[in-house]
Amino acid sequence: MRKALRWKAWPIIALSAAVALAVPVIAHDGYVIQLLNIAILNAIVVIGLNFATGWAGQINFGQAAFYGLGAYTTAIATKAGLPWIVTPFLSVIVVVVASLILGLPTMRLRTYYLAMTTIGFGEIIRLMIVHWEPVTGGTSGLRAIPGISIFGIGPQGQIQHYYLLIATLGLAVLIALRVRNSVLGRAMIATKDSEIAAEQSGVDTTRTKLLAFMIGAIYAGLAGCLYASSIRFISPDSFSGTQAILLMTMLIIGGMGSIAGCVVGAVALTILPEALRFLGQWYLVLYGLGVVAVIVLAPGGLASLASQVQPRRARLR
Amino acid sequence: MGQLVVNGLALGSIYALVALGLLLIFNTVQIVNFAQGQLLMLGAFIGISCAVTHELPVAAAWAITMVAMALVGIVFMVLVYFPLRGRPAFLVILTTIAMGIVLENLALIVWGPLPVSLPSPIHGPPLRFAGVVVSMHQIFIFVTLAVILLLQFFFLTKTRFGILMQATAQDLHTARLVGIPVNRTIAVAFAFGAVLSGIAGLLVAPIFLAEPTMGGSLGLKGFVVSVIGGFGNLPGAVIGGLFLGLIETFGARYISSNFRDAYAFVVMIAVLVAWPRGLFGEKSSEKV
Repeated sequence: MRKALRWKAWPIIALSAAVALAVPVIAHDGYVIQLLNIAILNAIVVIGLNFATGWAGQINFGQAAFYGLGAYTTAIATKAGLPWIVTPFLSVIVVVVASLILGLPTMRLRTYYLAMTTIGFGEIIRLMIVHWEPVTGGTSGLRAIPGISIFGIGPQGQIQHYYLLIATLGLAVLIALRVRNSVLGRAMIATKDSEIAAEQSGVDTTRTKLLAFMIGAIYAGLAGCLYASSIRFISPDSFSGTQAILLMTMLIIGGMGSIAGCVVGAVALTILPEALRFLGQWYLVLYGLGVVAVIVLAPGGLASLASQVQPRRARLR
Repeated sequence: MGQLVVNGLALGSIYALVALGLLLIFNTVQIVNFAQGQLLMLGAFIGISCAVTHELPVAAAWAITMVAMALVGIVFMVLVYFPLRGRPAFLVILTTIAMGIVLENLALIVWGPLPVSLPSPIHGPPLRFAGVVVSMHQIFIFVTLAVILLLQFFFLTKTRFGILMQATAQDLHTARLVGIPVNRTIAVAFAFGAVLSGIAGLLVAPIFLAEPTMGGSLGLKGFVVSVIGGFGNLPGAVIGGLFLGLIETFGARYISSNFRDAYAFVVMIAVLVAWPRGLFGEKSSEKV
């Protein structure tokens, strides 16, 4: 059964990979590619968010802050003259430490308390970025961040960055799939379904939640590292509370727990505001109403709409 | 020093009011409304439309705002609470946040981004005791909070409807089984919650200016207060609110005013680390 499903999934995966690789051939516009690059980075962050929220069931509004920590660590380090190759490691160290500081005391909190604590964490990080001006550039952000370069070799131009980011996204998806099918992944799902039942079955739920949270933070930190050195300009607005809510919305709209949903949600909600720019302020009104509509009408997000079709087909057979 | 205490308590009273609105809704349906700050903003702007744009007396503006907010609360319930009944808390959080985004941007479209001021309903020279200046508006804030507290306490514990509301909060299904008009009770809770945040908006607008984006941070302060005091705990909300007002005022004066908004969260996280259910405990028990 599972194998059959996988076989069915192959054409879709191949098709989406082909489309992803062909996009720069069709869209020469630098602005479009830049937007897609941001969309891919957002997708990586949302896949990260999915570990804690989609699988382990822990609400997390701190993901944008981890994204920002990765980006700022990279920007500050490369601007200080460190070689680029050390920045992914530095970013990971910073977000792991931050996720431990936030995660260790809060993993026993329930929904509302956890939501508030993660919002508070994001806000504290944002205020630190905004007010530590000599280092972070304050509200105007940091410009002219050195690009990706490994011993002098690095992508040039937006299209090469695009392919690099697509490859990273592919890797991020593969790792997420491996984790999902591992003991840890099953422990996450069990924790989400019922913490009491999971504990009874020998799952250390606190450790599982913390690990899910930390893996997600590492995803965000690395995406932030790539953001800083491929977009080469960062400002606190890209990692604010609004962004945290947007990331969560991408996860919900795409479909919690589904990796394809994460990617679709992230790409759709990165491109939509640009495509609907002519709506002005009304876009945000429609965005809010759209989120409510999806949650009320299709609580599993777009991914659930797609999977609703499949069982019906199976039944017919 | 004394001046800081007075200013802190005035600010804290407003936080307490936001938290009281949240508490009414939480106690009845176990939902935390993350759009409460935007409801506050809406209250302030309805007041401004009446008192400034249409030049009505401030007292009339207050009355109109309260009635309008009651209706907004009921509409909010129909749009957000009914479709999501029984869904995970997580989705409710996101829905109310999304409604907050809708309200904020509608306000930007209707009233524009510029900050506006609202006159206080009370005028008069400030009082002075031993170098401490207390403005009439600050006194008005304290009196309003005290009156609302008394009314809420009396309503919840002494009136028939308040007791029905408490019963609904304890167990919705049993309440329905014994013939309590559950939906009407919930509607009253939402209406009251919205009116309270509207009043908080009317009280804030004369001190800070009102702008469409004011809701976000004030709403968050309301939650911080609820968390510190324990969700659904009435004395907790008031003491937590006053406590937070003092912390912010003193922190801004003696540590750094840049991090004014961070103190609330630092205190909240510290409280949660020590007492995972707030200083005064949560009123409702966990439902398995």
